[in-house]
Amino acid sequence: MAEIQFLDVSKEYGGTVAVRDLTLTVGEGEFVVLVGPSGCGKTTALRMVAGLEEISVGEIRIGNRVVNDLPPRERDVAMVFQNYALYPHKNVYENLVFGLRMRRVPKAAQKARVEEIARILGLQDMLRRKPAQLSGGQRQRVAMGRAIVREPKAFLMDEPLSNLDAKLRGQMRAEIARIQQTLAVTTLYVTHDQVEAMTMGNRVAVMRDGLLQQIDTPQQLYDAPRNLFVASFVGSPPMNLLEAEVVREGTGLVCRSGETEIELPHDVVATRPELEARAGQRVVVGIRPESVVESGSGASIRGRVLLVEALGAEQLVHLDVPATPLSRQDLVDAAAQPAAPGLGTDQPGRSTTILGRFDRNALLRPGEVAEIFVDPHELHFFDLETGAALERAAAPVAELAR
Amino acid sequence: MSAVTPVAPVPVAPTTALRARRGRRKTAGRIGVNAVALVVFGLMVFPVYWMVSTAFKPGRDILTYTPTWFPVHATLSNFSDAIHRAYFWRDVGNSLIIVAMVVALSLVVGFLAALAIAKFDFYGRKAFIVLMIGIQMIPLSALIIPLYILMSRVGQVNKLSGVIITYMTFVLPFTVWTLRGFLMGVPKELEEAAMVDGSTRFGAFARILLPLVAPGIVATSIFAFIQAWNEFIIAYVFLNSPQHQTLTIWLASFTSLRGTDWGPLMAGATLTALPVVAFFVLVQRKIAFGLTAGAVRG
Repeated sequence: MAEIQFLDVSKEYGGTVAVRDLTLTVGEGEFVVLVGPSGCGKTTALRMVAGLEEISVGEIRIGNRVVNDLPPRERDVAMVFQNYALYPHKNVYENLVFGLRMRRVPKAAQKARVEEIARILGLQDMLRRKPAQLSGGQRQRVAMGRAIVREPKAFLMDEPLSNLDAKLRGQMRAEIARIQQTLAVTTLYVTHDQVEAMTMGNRVAVMRDGLLQQIDTPQQLYDAPRNLFVASFVGSPPMNLLEAEVVREGTGLVCRSGETEIELPHDVVATRPELEARAGQRVVVGIRPESVVESGSGASIRGRVLLVEALGAEQLVHLDVPATPLSRQDLVDAAAQPAAPGLGTDQPGRSTTILGRFDRNALLRPGEVAEIFVDPHELHFFDLETGAALERAAAPVAELAR
Repeated sequence: MSAVTPVAPVPVAPTTALRARRGRRKTAGRIGVNAVALVVFGLMVFPVYWMVSTAFKPGRDILTYTPTWFPVHATLSNFSDAIHRAYFWRDVGNSLIIVAMVVALSLVVGFLAALAIAKFDFYGRKAFIVLMIGIQMIPLSALIIPLYILMSRVGQVNKLSGVIITYMTFVLPFTVWTLRGFLMGVPKELEEAAMVDGSTRFGAFARILLPLVAPGIVATSIFAFIQAWNEFIIAYVFLNSPQHQTLTIWLASFTSLRGTDWGPLMAGATLTALPVVAFFVLVQRKIAFGLTAGAVRG
């Protein structure tokens, strides 16, 4: 087991930069997930650790040893590939034992070790089969086994679940997380699926265009995204984003987006001291779908119900509200952008669709006008120019003043 | 009930009739396809049959106005005649040397070249591939004279080495092209996995890549074997002394100004065909697999 460190690592491919100034530490026994849309540089970062990609600038260390110039076999890491990369001409036993043979482990020890791993992964009856005779889940398990069997310093996993169907993926997700916890091996895991990232990682690193956006615990990423991209990428369904003007009314502040107004109580402003300075300016307001409620306290918003998706335990309700949609789509994750922004809305550009996550008992029907409530304490605020989140005070300022 | 019964068969009857008609049409189609296949099979097999059967016929049965379909008075005299002709064993040796060299060289050089264009990105790679295929389009007969002049300048006329080099020029492009298809069918992750598992680059190549492209190597070696063994024109033009000739040229010597000695010629041809047939039978399972695999992957 060892720590993996990226120190100002960059990777260029003939002019294009795949990874830019990446500094990141995966602690001993830690499970860190690199997540981001395709082409964000996450796989390149992983392959640089494995030694399959050269490092243009910077340093990568595995357990305090600089590995920049070491060939893959001397780095003592194991990698699980997206397509598993099982050797098709070798049977399961030979696939599992390959790494041990390469490291000249004594024959008897090889056999014992492979049989133990096969038992743990439930592969005992398949040792003589070729990869082509296995199901997707079994292949995945063999690929995991091949990594585990060698007891490497670290696991590198490159989207290992993306070739499985949804149900099996959920199963294997838990299985991998459990194996990692039991073995406590330092793991760097790459995925484009934010659900996978949130459920598996001790910490999650969100990347975009080769740049690390934020690295934090899953809960922290969800609760305090550092910018619009992270806010829109993490969470499913994604955060609702509106453009609003911060207006001073009397002694307090109000967020005005089109015809929709949300009053900001003093304690909300106190936790975000920057808001005061933004009076008269435009900002981006983010509302998580579960913060939109059918009844309760907070600001009321009137909207027309466009669509109700019943999921059994809850309902996802799409509402058309008279608020200004976000103009800076370049700052958010492409997958979180509405495919047809004007579809179903009354006045494209002046009204926007927001998504609410409602209780199963909520009685909303498409076409009707509904009043919904948003708790201002749960709002997120971002700069419209840079997309950066408006800074939160570490502790409520009001309390400190008292 | 009584009202229903006469109605019921109405929708059923046409569907059964339609199905029957469709079934008949399908059967007719299948018979037609099989008939065509039989004709093609006959056309391809008959010359071979005629060669072998003529080889066993005595002279009086060969040149008759009423063809003898089967070698009724079978004899081996044509074979012993052919074998005892001058230079037979010497030319068998020449052919074997040429074939062995062409197969071995084309596999080694072809495999490395295929590896380069399948796995590495370098300047001019596309042009190289196009050029290789383009050159294949030029008819061989157009190349003979330039090749002859070239070879005579470097002193390679009337030498086996000259013929070997010349054969390589048209065996290699095919070898490279086919092996490239096979190599591209092997995902690069397999080698990478082996390297992360503790192999050197060469180890990954020898333990993973090589076994996976074995069918391709078999297929191309058969192609090289057949090409080099059966080739006539280049050998005929380049090799003019009987000590250096190949079996195909030796066969041509049965035709002289006085006519053709059909019996021994057919016996010699049968003997010449034997190694190819034997080689093919030996590895035909693998070539069938190899060619389809190459087609899908390449």
